[in-house]
Amino acid sequence: MNLLRVLFAATLIVSSAGVAAQAPSDAQIASIVVVANQVDIDAGHLAESKASAAEVKAFGKQMVTDHTGVNKQAVALAKKLGVVPEDNPTSQSLKKGGEENLESLKTLKGAAFDKAYIDHEVAYHQQVLDAIDKTLIPSAKNAELKALLVSVRPAFVGHLEHAKQIQADLGKK
Amino acid sequence: MTLTVSTKIARAVATTGDVLRRAAEPAWLRVLALASVAGMAPAAETPPVTHTVVMRATSYAPLALTMKLGDMVVWRNEDPFPHTATAAGVFDSKSIAAGASWKYRPEAAGEYAYICTFHPNMKGTLKVE
Repeated sequence: MNLLRVLFAATLIVSSAGVAAQAPSDAQIASIVVVANQVDIDAGHLAESKASAAEVKAFGKQMVTDHTGVNKQAVALAKKLGVVPEDNPTSQSLKKGGEENLESLKTLKGAAFDKAYIDHEVAYHQQVLDAIDKTLIPSAKNAELKALLVSVRPAFVGHLEHAKQIQADLGKK
Repeated sequence: MTLTVSTKIARAVATTGDVLRRAAEPAWLRVLALASVAGMAPAAETPPVTHTVVMRATSYAPLALTMKLGDMVVWRNEDPFPHTATAAGVFDSKSIAAGASWKYRPEAAGEYAYICTFHPNMKGTLKVE
C-alpha cells in the first residue's frame, strides 16, 4: 500500500517534470534540487530516531549527512550565480510526497517502520535519478549547475544500491 | 688593467659554469659513479613516495593505484559528504569527512580491492609491489 503510494507520487514527480515543466529554468532546477534533498533529510532524521535495525538507523543518518552536504553546495552555487530558487510544480509535488511519506512512517514501528522507510528510499532514489537524467541535467543551462548535477548523481546511485542491499538484508530476517 | 679584470670575470664565469654543470648532473649518474668506485651494483632504491587518491563525484581518482611497499597513500575527500576507503580485513579509513584526508602505509605487498561503505558503487584498487 505504502509502496503504491510512493510509486504514484513518484510518477507524479516525473510526469509533472515532463509536462508542466518540460524544460525547467535554472531557478526551478535549483528549487527542485534543494527540495529533493530536504525531503530525504527529513525522512533520514525520522529514521535516525525511529528505526530499529542498526543498519537502517545508520542509513538514515548517512542520508541526513550526504543530502545536507549536497544542499550546502547547491545553495552556495545558487548564491554565487545569483539564482533564486523558484517554486514549481515538480518541487511542490516532491514536497507534498515527502510530507505524506513522513505522516505514513510516523504511524509505523519496529520492523514495519524499517521496511517502509527503506522501500521508500529505494523508490525515491530511483525516481530522483530518473528526474536527474531525463529532466534536470538535460535542462540545466548554466554549466556549473549542470556540473553539480553530474557530480552528485553517482552518490545517489550509491544510495540506491546501499538501500537495495539493506532491503535485501531486511527481507532475510 | 682592463684585460686583467675581464680575464678574472671570464675565469669566474667558467668556474660558475662548472658548478652549475655539476649541479645539473642527474643524481643517478653520481650514484653510478659512487657505486663503481665502491665496486658495487648501482643502488636502485628510490625513497618512499606519497601518492594521492582524490575522492570526487563519488569516485576514486585514480581508480587503480600502483605503489611500492613502503610508500604512503593519502585519500583526499573533495566531495561535500563523507566517504570511506575500505578493503575488508585489510584497511578501513572509517568515515573521511568532506574536505578531510586519511593516510595509510600498506604493510604487505598485494592487490587490494576497496570500496566506500557508504556508496557501494564507489570502487578502487590498490596494488602494492
